[in-house]
Amino acid sequence: MKISPLIKLPFSKQNPVTVQVLGICSCLAVTAQLKPAVVMALSVTVVVMFSNLIISLLRNTIPPRIRIIVQLVVVASLVVVVNQVLEAFVYDVSRQLSVYVGLIITNCIVMGRLEAFAMTHRPWESMLDGLGNGLGYAVILVILGIVRELFGSGTLWDYPVVERLGLYNIGYQNNGLFVMAPMALILVGVIIWIQRSADKDLQEKEK
Amino acid sequence: MAKTFSNRYMLFYAAALVTVAALLLTIVSVSLKPRQERNKAAEQKQMILKTIGVEASRDNAAELFEQYFTVGESPNGSSAEEDIHGGTPLRYDGGIVIPIQGSGLWGPIWGYLALDSNATVVGAVFDHQGETPGLGGEIATDKFAARFIGKRMDSQPICLKKNADNNSPYQVDVISGATMTSNGVTEMLEKAYENYKNLITPNIQSNQIDFRKEAVQ
Repeated sequence: MKISPLIKLPFSKQNPVTVQVLGICSCLAVTAQLKPAVVMALSVTVVVMFSNLIISLLRNTIPPRIRIIVQLVVVASLVVVVNQVLEAFVYDVSRQLSVYVGLIITNCIVMGRLEAFAMTHRPWESMLDGLGNGLGYAVILVILGIVRELFGSGTLWDYPVVERLGLYNIGYQNNGLFVMAPMALILVGVIIWIQRSADKDLQEKEK
Repeated sequence: MAKTFSNRYMLFYAAALVTVAALLLTIVSVSLKPRQERNKAAEQKQMILKTIGVEASRDNAAELFEQYFTVGESPNGSSAEEDIHGGTPLRYDGGIVIPIQGSGLWGPIWGYLALDSNATVVGAVFDHQGETPGLGGEIATDKFAARFIGKRMDSQPICLKKNADNNSPYQVDVISGATMTSNGVTEMLEKAYENYKNLITPNIQSNQIDFRKEAVQ
């Protein structure tokens, strides 16, 4: 199997968020600001990559009847490790992400990739597949984080962009809607719209 | 995938897997614990310092705390370091900082009120574990905390009310859309008032707090 589509596809025709519509919950919850969005994206990428790798290494030893439980144990352990590391090294961000790091366990992207890919592919490919899907998810989170923080709070990575541009002085105001979760859903919708308009393969055939 | 596995294999497999996972997690948890505890303690100190108007960073919080809250001079003779964990009031130059704890809509909420020698609030800070962002979560903002400045905790506790009278020293506006969290804040202020009124009240007459005489619950 060729390597490059494993990483490239999740960015386009197989994007976990905009095409498969997975992992929406955390997309809405943690993207009000860029920093937690980036940390969440990295955390998910790490978890998908390594759970894919571990499950792929074990795939021939896992009894099919208990495979979901085995996958869960692996994913849950990785998530706990990530959570502990965040608490120790980026405490403020981990406070902001609160329960959502723990909820990576239930992120459909992770279990989805394990079932659909890692159970039947070799470790190296599985790891790349995890990386690709993690980054595909990350791209959407970062876009949402940038747009929502810029218009909702007037900052970018806590840097007061709008204030520095002097827009408040001429009557500009932050849009509170961008801070709320519904706006994230609308933005995801807009991204899906743009992507589907550009990519004919994603459109349903007319009957 | 026509391979079949015996029940015994499955049981051993599951047992071995969870044992390995448990071992790994224990190692991670134990090795990161000191760092996490330090973060939590520093955050608490940052909060307390904020009530008396001192902005501290995560790194210098411990140092500044030592500076403003003299060790061994807090209400019941214990060190400031002990008090911070015991939930007892802390003494600073000019008054006391009282800890408040209660429950919001989804989980615990807590905070600190800095009172001057007249039991007037000079600073407040609140935090929560899981209140709804944008609604109950607003209690953690500076904007909400600022509503308490100038209010009083002398003859009755401060309460949160709809359309509160801003001139009243005992009323603060609620957060609209977050009634349960607002009620939780009122309740925890009442509880704190009950717990610490012995500490607060005599100070109205004497204009000075006699820490050693009054036992703190």
